[in-house]
Amino acid sequence: MSASSAALTMDRTIAARPPAAIPALDIIANIAQVQLTPMAVEIDEGHYPLEIMADLGKAGAFRFHLADGGHRFDLAISAMETISAACGSTGFLAWCHDVMGLYLDQSDNAGLRERLLPYHAVARTFGGTALSNPMKSFAGIEPVLLKARPVAGGYSVTGSLPWVSHIAPGQYCAAIAQIEVEAGCESHEVMFLLPFDGRARLRTCPKFSGMEGTSTWGITLEDFFVPVADIIADPVKPFIARIRASFILLQTGMALGVARGAIADIRAVHGHLAHVNQYLSDGADELEPELDALRARIMALAATPFDTSRDYLLNVLDARAEGAELCLRAAQSALLHQGASGYLMTSAPQRRIRESHFVAIVTPAIKHLRRLMAQLEQDPSPAQEQGR
Amino acid sequence: MSVVMAEPNDDRGPWKEFLCRACGLIYNEGEGDPDSGIAPGTRFHDIPDDWSCPICGVRKQDFEPYERAAAIPLSAAPVTRRAKGGVVIVGAGIAGWSAAKAIRARDPDIAITMITNCAGHVYNKPELAVALSRGMTEERLRREIGSEAASRLGLRLIAETSAVGISARGRRLRTTRGTFAYDRLILASGARAMPPGGLDPARCWRINDLNSWIALSNRLSGKHRHLAIIGAGMVGCELAEDLARAGHEVTLVSLTAEPMEGFFPARAGERLRQGLESLGIRLHGGVTVTAMEPCEDGTSMLSLSDGKAIHVDHVITATGLATPSRMIAAAGIAFENGIVVDPQTLQTSVADIFALGDCVSIGGTPCRYVEPIAGQAATIAAAVTGAAPLPYDHRPPMIRLKTRSAPIVVEGSIVRGGEWREAKGASGELIMEQWVDGSLTARLVA
Repeated sequence: MSASSAALTMDRTIAARPPAAIPALDIIANIAQVQLTPMAVEIDEGHYPLEIMADLGKAGAFRFHLADGGHRFDLAISAMETISAACGSTGFLAWCHDVMGLYLDQSDNAGLRERLLPYHAVARTFGGTALSNPMKSFAGIEPVLLKARPVAGGYSVTGSLPWVSHIAPGQYCAAIAQIEVEAGCESHEVMFLLPFDGRARLRTCPKFSGMEGTSTWGITLEDFFVPVADIIADPVKPFIARIRASFILLQTGMALGVARGAIADIRAVHGHLAHVNQYLSDGADELEPELDALRARIMALAATPFDTSRDYLLNVLDARAEGAELCLRAAQSALLHQGASGYLMTSAPQRRIRESHFVAIVTPAIKHLRRLMAQLEQDPSPAQEQGR
Repeated sequence: MSVVMAEPNDDRGPWKEFLCRACGLIYNEGEGDPDSGIAPGTRFHDIPDDWSCPICGVRKQDFEPYERAAAIPLSAAPVTRRAKGGVVIVGAGIAGWSAAKAIRARDPDIAITMITNCAGHVYNKPELAVALSRGMTEERLRREIGSEAASRLGLRLIAETSAVGISARGRRLRTTRGTFAYDRLILASGARAMPPGGLDPARCWRINDLNSWIALSNRLSGKHRHLAIIGAGMVGCELAEDLARAGHEVTLVSLTAEPMEGFFPARAGERLRQGLESLGIRLHGGVTVTAMEPCEDGTSMLSLSDGKAIHVDHVITATGLATPSRMIAAAGIAFENGIVVDPQTLQTSVADIFALGDCVSIGGTPCRYVEPIAGQAATIAAAVTGAAPLPYDHRPPMIRLKTRSAPIVVEGSIVRGGEWREAKGASGELIMEQWVDGSLTARLVA
């Protein structure tokens, strides 16, 4: 029901695209409609849709933003929007896959890039990102949980991470560890490829309220050897400074998609419920122009993804936060508009409520975004240092 | 129901708590973790090393001792917002409070929300330039506590909050404490004082708000210091005199040879310099700062373009203000050296968004004086309360340089590079007039 109406609104973003990109985006839209939409409930409940991810990768969904794709972050976000409108979990997997590709693409380690990226970019291999903890750490929210000790030929890493998505035996992710030259003496951080070749322990996570098909695990490493050949960035901070804005900007694709799907859910019941839904606020005609305006801003930001200025980062954080808020409003509104049918456990609005919650709490969560923006809004001055 | 052991009797102090750094779970020794087989009353250090967080599974080593922090005061908590926005004002300086007062005077019921990145206390910014020599204190400069002014005017004050984005279409203002709907938005967000490029902003004082003044005042309190002031415009000259009168050693570093050069005629600049020098201020004119090196004791070494170096305790920059443009540009609001407003209505290029005070520009020129603000506030108040239009009449304000050693007053609008003629004045008084294309544009009395 909501699926077909989601498809109806898909053309909105396609209109502005250059002709060359349209076939790929059309194929992605078709995969989303034909394969993802019917599977959305099953994925939400636990099916890890690698077979669909492979098809999306083959269609080019995960390479737009790479050097090879001309750094077209706008198209990467559009693809993620289309995927997320059909299934938020797969939209999140697309983001995980995209940023893993971004790390490899931006890494100075040409050997690693050449070894892995050609396969990763087209989803012949799969891998996610374990950067939630270090990203929070760099924002001063929590310490880095993985510790690395320099050893001959690389590092030995020990520690646990609570939840990492889009990983499984035979897959990989990128992780960051704090280097400890000796116990208690911390140096800089190192980012590395973490292959799940049997050495790292994967722990089952507690049940989440939704998005169970994202293959999310806890990771434990005990003296895990990382060879120099697997290092993505060392030191990490200049690397993160370069990719931080684009890492966050890419997430807006999820927000746009979940909100678009919710607006489609509202329209889907317009015919038979308009007589009562007219008394609700946040209707489709109210939300849609806001979504369009936000999308236009995001697409403009996507033109300069590696801008490291403070103003650019603030604009990205603001767009990401607005996306999360719009998602929450749209999903809530979709449920109210559909009424009892939207309250069914397997209904799209019910699932989108949980997807919107995810967009709002995944790192950087709304609260993290606001905290970061508050920090960036402070002008550095001796008055600040005085700690007033 | 969790069983909690009563007071411990193992002589190891009261039960302690430990925080999981990954997920925020708190392990309480009195409660234990019965689900994982850890009995109530188990000290954290006695838990087996293979125990893991019952929520997220990270290891025991990833926990840290947890001390409950003091509660965050209610004022810092997010506020529930009504769907109807009313008037939202961004900024709680003279412009913001003037707008609030003018609107409330016209309409006792309209909802007003004020968003400010400071505490919102009411004070008069021009006083900051003369406050140290007058022995002012924070309490005396602060005319009213922000929350008290808010309750007197019946408005909602959202303090310590930055506005970060505007959705003109949805009439929403995004801030670091949530999104606020508005019917009318009034930008009174001021301008930022940034040090010249190349100087570390974390080491350069700028006195552009009460907080920065308080911080500097605390730092200087009771001490005799050597201060460098970079920039000999109005603020630089006023601060130099104020700090010198407060007993500090002051070096005024200026790009121009004379203070206020290019704006004031040479003879007035000369008078101003003589006045400042009579207070012991050293004027170092015609130079730029090429480097600022921190010294180990917290002092700074300034290298100047003429090869000289000055060793000072603190550096204050007064090289002008700039209106931040990021949020304005992102919202699609016209910006040219400030937020462009209609000179009569003070509306920005976007419907229902107005601006006043230091953040605006009229005809491409910012107007950073206090005097016009009351008139701007009155015009905006009439518009947002639906009263008959009250067109704003923009006139160049009278400028008073608060340098008691050489007070200078200017009426009219000075044109840079315009011709100055001396007019007859009382004995000892310098009167100069500026003429451009045969008409009098400004009159200066020194």
